[in-house]
This record gives sequence, structure tokens and C-alpha cells, in this order.
Amino acid sequence: MVTAKELATYIESIPPAPKVLQDTIAILDSGDLVKASLKAQEDKALTHYLRTLVNRPIYGFTNEVKDLKQIFGILGLSNAKQILCNYFLHLIVPKKWELFSITNTIFEDLQALLNVNWNLLLTNENIDNKDVSSSIALLPASIIVCEAIFASKKKEVELIRSVKNIDLNTILKRLSSMDLFDVATQIAKKWEMPDNIGEILQCASGIKPSEDEQTLKLGKYMHLLFFYTLSNPKCAGTGLNDFLEFQPDFIADVYENFASVIGVEQ
Amino acid sequence: MRAVVKNRIGIFYPQGFIDGANARNFLAPADITATSTLKIDMLLVSLKKVIFFNKNGMDILVSLLGECKKSNSAISLGFCDYDDSKFRTMMKFFNDDYSVSLFRTAEVATLFGPTTSDNKEKNILVHSDDPSQRNAITIELHEHGYNPIATQSREEFSTKRQSEQTFYEVVNNTHLGLFGKKIGTRVVGNAIIYSTDGFLDAKMNDIFDMTYHRNSLSVGFTLFVFDMNKVIAMNVHGVNFFSHLASAGAEFGASIAIVGLSFEKTPKAFQEELEDGGILFFEKLEDLLDNQEIMDELGGNEGSIKHSKKSLTKVIVNELPNFISATVTTLEMMTNTKAIKESAAVQKITIDSNDEKLASSIGFYGDIDGMMILIFPRTIAKRACELLLGEVSDKTEELLDTLAEFVNIIAGRLKSLLAEKGTSIDITLPRTYEKIDGLIHSISEQKGVQVNLTFKGERFTFFLTR
Repeated sequence: MVTAKELATYIESIPPAPKVLQDTIAILDSGDLVKASLKAQEDKALTHYLRTLVNRPIYGFTNEVKDLKQIFGILGLSNAKQILCNYFLHLIVPKKWELFSITNTIFEDLQALLNVNWNLLLTNENIDNKDVSSSIALLPASIIVCEAIFASKKKEVELIRSVKNIDLNTILKRLSSMDLFDVATQIAKKWEMPDNIGEILQCASGIKPSEDEQTLKLGKYMHLLFFYTLSNPKCAGTGLNDFLEFQPDFIADVYENFASVIGVEQ
Repeated sequence: MRAVVKNRIGIFYPQGFIDGANARNFLAPADITATSTLKIDMLLVSLKKVIFFNKNGMDILVSLLGECKKSNSAISLGFCDYDDSKFRTMMKFFNDDYSVSLFRTAEVATLFGPTTSDNKEKNILVHSDDPSQRNAITIELHEHGYNPIATQSREEFSTKRQSEQTFYEVVNNTHLGLFGKKIGTRVVGNAIIYSTDGFLDAKMNDIFDMTYHRNSLSVGFTLFVFDMNKVIAMNVHGVNFFSHLASAGAEFGASIAIVGLSFEKTPKAFQEELEDGGILFFEKLEDLLDNQEIMDELGGNEGSIKHSKKSLTKVIVNELPNFISATVTTLEMMTNTKAIKESAAVQKITIDSNDEKLASSIGFYGDIDGMMILIFPRTIAKRACELLLGEVSDKTEELLDTLAEFVNIIAGRLKSLLAEKGTSIDITLPRTYEKIDGLIHSISEQKGVQVNLTFKGERFTFFLTR
């Protein structure tokens, strides 16, 4: 159904990161927000994406923010980089979703929800690290990869799932020895993202715990946050909720803290 | 989200958080409609992957499950796969709600569903703090042919659980809601035993699972025994029901036997009327089951399946490409390897060697009817099951269980392929065979379409017959 060769071809087909995006991130890493915003303005699609995303209600701006300098200023270094990393996924997001019943607007809402709640968790953990903050941006890459690989095999997948509760990530792993998070990590490498983003992402799969204590904790939070977000009414009926197997035992020790920070009713 | 169906039990597997805001989204109207058309006896929501739920969310799920009952009032609804803490919470929610059953695991729920295996050697340890629940669970398990061992106290339960005695399953933290309205079913040898009680009147048409009965006929069962030891009386509607059942089974060469019926309140003339219709009467169940000669004659012993006299029809042969396509593409999908077709012919079944082979079969009926038999070399069976099991297994029970799921996938694919062409079929419960000698013997005189395929040099046989 899916072979390792097909996966390699898919990864090969991922476009490289645009030059303007790479340069903007490099400038942000050097700490110059104004220069970064000027660089970002050179790419009209990127500018439009940033304006649209930041003006979503979840970011809480009462008036529409149009000026990129202003946007970068409000977001700060970490959040600006996080949103630029969101844009990477914009490059590979499908025009039409076949496997999952979602639209690109819902996908962007999902990205925004993940960003905002991830930042809450990092603040609570006193973590101020641009790479860690940005790592959440790549998590939904697993959804895009899943859509790309299984969209044409929807019927086969439905048949298997009609007799066995088996998630798509597991099906892929059993067929090709690679899972969705391995593919997403390869994409991150292709886009020259920092290594620790890939490490947190792998841990967030819930099946590959990290030996590093902080990465393990962040992976648990990310796994739980992913399913909390996928349980959102907008996402619950889209099929996204069952593409990956939730691991309640993996996150058991961070659940109470998570619920308190995010505000899950008890 | 679609329900996963196994052994006529449909289970939804939501993940994460369930509350009043999102519960409705987990089971969309299309899911409810699709579920309503399924031939199932139980519809459950698994809480295995749910970390948070509240009363509002659960109430909405129950009400959505209830929608499926509109088309099949005999479906039991409930939840499964929870730990002690979730069970306590669920009991607070549903203790007084008789429409909801709770099963500690999906495997425990399976004990209360239909079975095609002989369960009399399977010991089940039962405990419930509520004596009425304990009794209800014990009776239900007994009706399904198991050997339930109920404990009277938690201490006794803990001691027995830790004892060396092996239990097939442990049933605790389980609560039966509206249950037992259906006729209990169990299998002994190659005979199906139905247990009935109370008054047998017009309600028989509602409580008797005709689909299961027809499934059993289609997959080769020919002896159906009604254990009526607990029946108080039967009226003329009951007699009519059994007369119709006997006529319907005649096409398959099936026999119906009634055991233990008391004639204190049932006219003796009914027995004569039913005997004229070919129904056999015995005083005790043992009188029938222990009589090897009669059991052999009626096809009630294992390996004594009667030969069908039906032959392939032109319609089935015309649909053959669909059958083969469904089988090949599913097998290719599951093994991730290409199939090569060696030969296809209408013939009696011919297998090189019966050693190291496993088989599964599934019946279908509707616009066309027949039986599809798949014979796997153990190596292909292992490879085909790897995707579903997640590991290479050599345990025969695991392999057979997975082959049953596998043949279900094929039949499901076939059903949708035929539906696209306007041909409607229903499928039976699958059967699996650890040794294929009996199966081959039972169909040896029947002609069918045999297709031999190879997967990485190993021969796999597809046989379609009636």
C-alpha cells in the first residue's frame, strides 16, 4: 500500500525553504526584529500569510494589525520565529483535503491554537527559547504528511479501520518502517531547522520517549496539547483525532499541570 | 468516526477529551446513519484513549448511540475499556440508567455477544458488589455457554484471581443495563444451542436473531437446538415461528431440535404438529448431545458438516472478477507484495498439501449467495496478519483471530464493489480453521471456482462455492 520508496519520493518532492524566509529567520536569530520585518516584506505571500494569521481572534488583537514591523514588534523574537515556521507548512499544505474533512482555514486555526497554548505551557515552565517555541509549528506537518500519503488510499484505510482500531501512523510504520513523525523530521532537516525541533517532534509522537529530561517533558506536553487541540469542536469531526494513537500513560504525570495551565474544566 | 465492528459488536474509539462542546462532533450524523445499517448486537464507546470526560459529553454520546437503536431496538448500548477510577465515575453517571451497560474491556463485552465457538471449557471469574448484577452477569455468561464462577465478596474475588486456576476472562467492574432480551446462543461441537425462557409467543419474531441464524446456516451449521428447560408455555404463535424456521432451514438441510419442553401448560398436540414439520424433540439436552449417532446424522459433530447440493450460478460467476479483485487487492495491501495469478478454473477443490495451512471462510447472501474460502500457507497468513497485529506472530489463536478480521475486510470490500453495481449482499460472521482437512472434506464434492495465486513464491488458494 505504501512503500519506503514512495516515502523517499515524497520527501524529495518537498520544495526547499524560500530564500526570503530563510534570511528572515537568520535575522531574527541575530535578534533584529525591525530588519527581519523589512526582509519578510519582500515576499508578498509571506506578508499576506502573517497578516492573516496574526489577526485571528485567538491572538486577541482588538484592532487589525497590518504593518509587519508592528506585527513583529508585538510578537517578539520567539513568537515571530514560531509564526515564520508555521509558514513553512503553508508551502506544502494541500490545495484540497481528501483524507481529512478539513479546510485550510481550519488547519490554520489549528496551528494558531497550538501556538498560543504552547506558549502558555512554555511560559509556565520558564522556557524562553526560540527553537523550542518554534517546534510546535512543525507538529501539524504530521497531518500534512498523512494526508499526502493516504489521500489516494482512503478506501483501503477505511476498510482496515473498520475491523481494527489502528491509527494511520501505525499503519505507515508497519508498512514502511517509517512513521509520520520520521517523515516530518526529515522535512525539518530539509528546511534546515534546528535538530532539537526534530527531537521534540519525535518525542511528541508518544511512542519514542527522549532520554533528555526536558525534551521528554516537552514531548509529553506537545502530545497532550495535540490531542487537546484535536478534541476542539472544530477538529473533532474531521478525522484528525484518530490519525495518531493517543498515549494516556505517556502523559499521565504531566496531565494535572497541563489541565491547570490550559484551563481544562475538572 | 466509524465504528470498528467485530463479532457483531460495534465500538467507537474517540481519543483525548470528551465534553459537551465536542461530543456531538465525534459521532457525526453520517456516522450514526452508517452505524444504523450495521448488523450488530452491541454498540459501545471505548474510553481507552480518553483522558477526560464529563457528564454532558457522556450524555450526548449516549443519546447519539440511542439514535442507532431506532432502526434496531435490540442493540445494547454502553461503554468499555476503562480503569477503576473511570468505572466509579461512570457508575455515578449511569447507575440508574438501564439503557447503558458498562464493560471493563472490549474483550469482556465480547463474552456477551454472539459466538461461533464452543465455550464450555472457558472459566470466567465474575464479581460485582451488587448481587443482582452478579446474578445477571452469571446468567448471561451461562446462556452464552461459558462456565462462570461468581464470587460473593471482594476478598474471595482477590483470592480466586490470584489463585493458580486459570480463567479465560475476569469480569468485574462491569454493569449490565438492559440486557438478556435476546435469546442466548452458544455452540457445542458443530451444533448451535439457543436458550429460551418464559412464554414463547409472537415475541419470538422480535427476540430471535434471524440474521445470526441465517449466518450460521450459510457457513455450514446444520443442527439448531432450542433448550426450553426454562420455558413456561408456548402458544400457537410460537408453533408458527418454529414451523417457519424449520421450512427456511430445509433448503440448507438443517435440523431443528427442541429439548426440555414441559407440556404442563403447552398442549401436547403442538409437539405432534411440530414433529410433522420435521422438528425433533428430546427430554434432555444430554439425550441429544451424547448420542454420537444422531449427532453425526444431523451434522452436529465437528467435521460432520453436510454437503451442500447447491451449484454455482451464472450470476456468481459473472461477479467473479469482483471477488478476485477484492481478495487480491486486500492481500496485496496487507502484505505489501504483488500477487501473481497462476490459474483459475471451475472444479472441485484441490490443495497440494493440507499441512501448515490455515483457512478462513465467510458466507454471503442477498441478491447472490455463496461462500468464499481462503486457504493460506502459514507463511502468508503470518505476513498478512503482521499489519493488523503489529508484530510477526506464530501463535495459531492470534493468527486465526486476525485471519477472521482479514476475511472480513475482503468481504467488506466485496460488498461495496458489488453495491456500486447494484448488487446487494450481506455477509456472515467469518469462520477460521486451524486444520483444513475437515473443511476440505466437507466441500470435497462441491464444485466451485478455484483461483491459485502466488505471493513471493507461496501459493494461496481462493475458492468460491455455494
